[in-house]
Amino acid sequence: MSFLGETQLEDDFGAFVAFREALGFVPNLLRAQALLPRLIEAQAKLEGAVRLSGGAISRLHKERILLSIAADREDAYCLAVDGKVTSSLGVPAGEIDAILEGSRCAGLSGAESASLEFCRKLARNAPSVDSEDIAALRAAGLDDSAVFEAVALSALAVYRCTLSAGLGPTPDFEHAHAPAKKNQPAERPYPSQTHGIHELMQRRVPPLPAPYLSPLAFAPFRIIQQTHGFIPNFFRGQSLRPDLLQAELEAVERILLPDDVLTRVQKECILLAVSAANLNSYCVAMHCNLLRGLGMSPEDGDQIAVDHHQSNLSEADTALLDFAVKLGTRASEFCREDVAKLQKLGFTAEQILECEVVTALNNFANTLQMGLGIEPDFEAPHVFEKNKVHLSAAGDTPNAGGGAVPLVDIVQDADAECVAKAQNGCLESFEELVRRHSRLIYRTLVAMLGNPADAQDAMQDTLLSAFKHIGAFEGRSKFSSWLVSIAKNCALQRLRRPKSMESLDEGDFDEEGDFRPRQVRAWQDDPEQFYSKAELQQIVERGILGLPPKYRMVVMLRDIQQLSIDEVAQQLGLSVPTVKTRLLRGRLMLRERLSPHFTTAVKGIAQ
Amino acid sequence: MITCEEFLAEFGDYLENQVSPEIRKELELHVSQCRACQVLCDSSRKTVRLVTESCSFELPENVSDAIIDRVMEKLRKDPS
Repeated sequence: MSFLGETQLEDDFGAFVAFREALGFVPNLLRAQALLPRLIEAQAKLEGAVRLSGGAISRLHKERILLSIAADREDAYCLAVDGKVTSSLGVPAGEIDAILEGSRCAGLSGAESASLEFCRKLARNAPSVDSEDIAALRAAGLDDSAVFEAVALSALAVYRCTLSAGLGPTPDFEHAHAPAKKNQPAERPYPSQTHGIHELMQRRVPPLPAPYLSPLAFAPFRIIQQTHGFIPNFFRGQSLRPDLLQAELEAVERILLPDDVLTRVQKECILLAVSAANLNSYCVAMHCNLLRGLGMSPEDGDQIAVDHHQSNLSEADTALLDFAVKLGTRASEFCREDVAKLQKLGFTAEQILECEVVTALNNFANTLQMGLGIEPDFEAPHVFEKNKVHLSAAGDTPNAGGGAVPLVDIVQDADAECVAKAQNGCLESFEELVRRHSRLIYRTLVAMLGNPADAQDAMQDTLLSAFKHIGAFEGRSKFSSWLVSIAKNCALQRLRRPKSMESLDEGDFDEEGDFRPRQVRAWQDDPEQFYSKAELQQIVERGILGLPPKYRMVVMLRDIQQLSIDEVAQQLGLSVPTVKTRLLRGRLMLRERLSPHFTTAVKGIAQ
Repeated sequence: MITCEEFLAEFGDYLENQVSPEIRKELELHVSQCRACQVLCDSSRKTVRLVTESCSFELPENVSDAIIDRVMEKLRKDPS
């Protein structure tokens, strides 16, 4: 018995007849959707176009691919049914065992091996597929049609496995073959951050050639034009197979358009959240756009994509998205309890079923988009004009570009005369220097120590130490930089005292990765206008003091003291990449802290 | 199109205007398609602007004077 129970449908139900003709039986995966027969029709359309039509890849090899993907996903239901179908087409038991174990099948042609490996990779981890994988297919002799079929087949396999995890249908057959245990992690390995963007750009899947298909000649395009306002590349990119496009649109019509079980908005939210979890920027953009058309504000849409828990959704809808994201991305962990959770919140079996099918459809579309290399729909307008923001750009700082200041040479310094006198023991000159730079010293100290009182104490140490060592200053850097390094040493001494809890350099284990921006509400155009200067300063200072010290330090020196990244690295004895990482994370953390004061939502409340 | 993760990996250099024109184009293409990253980008730039223009962590003049006076007094007594 499947998770949602099974109702009976007449055996002469059209989609059932089609399956019986094609496979000799009606899989329980379809019977488990009998609460909403239109969903069965949708799957029948997709299976008909992808699995049974075409011909660039043989029917037998298609079954082999579906079975391999089921084996990779350890999907017991699909393994049993696909194993049966594959063997009924004449594949010997030994070969099926090899597929189940994930080992290479003997006797496959080069093209068959290549397409099998490609489909497995695409289904397992779509974002990791790159131009080399496509090149391997081409080298093995696959033409456009065959590449298209391979991509569509992977998408269908993902659709079926997602559904089987969600529905838990009764197996159609006893396991002829026990699913082999894999060494592969169930979790999908996402592309590693270590790839540079250069490499990623070169490795990106090239768009599959798509012949021009006129909306005048192809009715489905006219419908798309009406619903989207234009024909997105997602559909244009499939023009090689108008029959498949047609089937897809008929499936979409049955799954997404009805508004009587889940609402259109709920379904678009599912598509958005699961696409985001699948790292599919293209589909995220598309569903954000569609949600806007359905009346959702852009901010709310974005918030769902980034983190739906922080959005304005009801508790029930949040749970619905949790459910869909888990099913869509961690199908192997999905279980009956997940269904029960939604039922407790009042969702009907029909609603849960529809949510699962929408999730499956989403994974189908995500896989297709990635595999076909569908390109963004909009040319980037020049979103940011360089001069519009007051950012001390690298090009503006003295240490970058043509006028670089070589640090080993004696530098021009307005303080030079005063310094020379101070070095000769002139206290008045020293006092003058200290007054000129007290602000810089103080900021360095606050940054390092994290509170104004300690900074004031350390300031005294710094000035005394500077006077003591001024004779050793050789003018190889600006006097101000030298003062900063003295201040830094004084602060470090304080931090090394046993009572001090903060450390600047320990705990580097969290350096990489896990910080993700959460706030996506847009900020006001002119955030400054809602607060007085003093209020702004207080907001900024509180935000900065709340940062962990190692980030605070870098943000203070770069953004308040406006040193260049190289100078910050030098001052702190850190590598430039470390400074960059900390600076970005520090700025992003600060952004989260400042957001509540400056998002459009607070407009009118602020004084 | 690059993913949000990939965008984020380059975002630091982007904020610093330290990316090559072709990467810049790629990032801006992403930003034009992805409102979440657009908001991230816009608000991060505003964050930097607010911080740089906030005159934060100014030591009040009287406090600063008091500290400097105290130090100078010490040095005048014992300049070694």
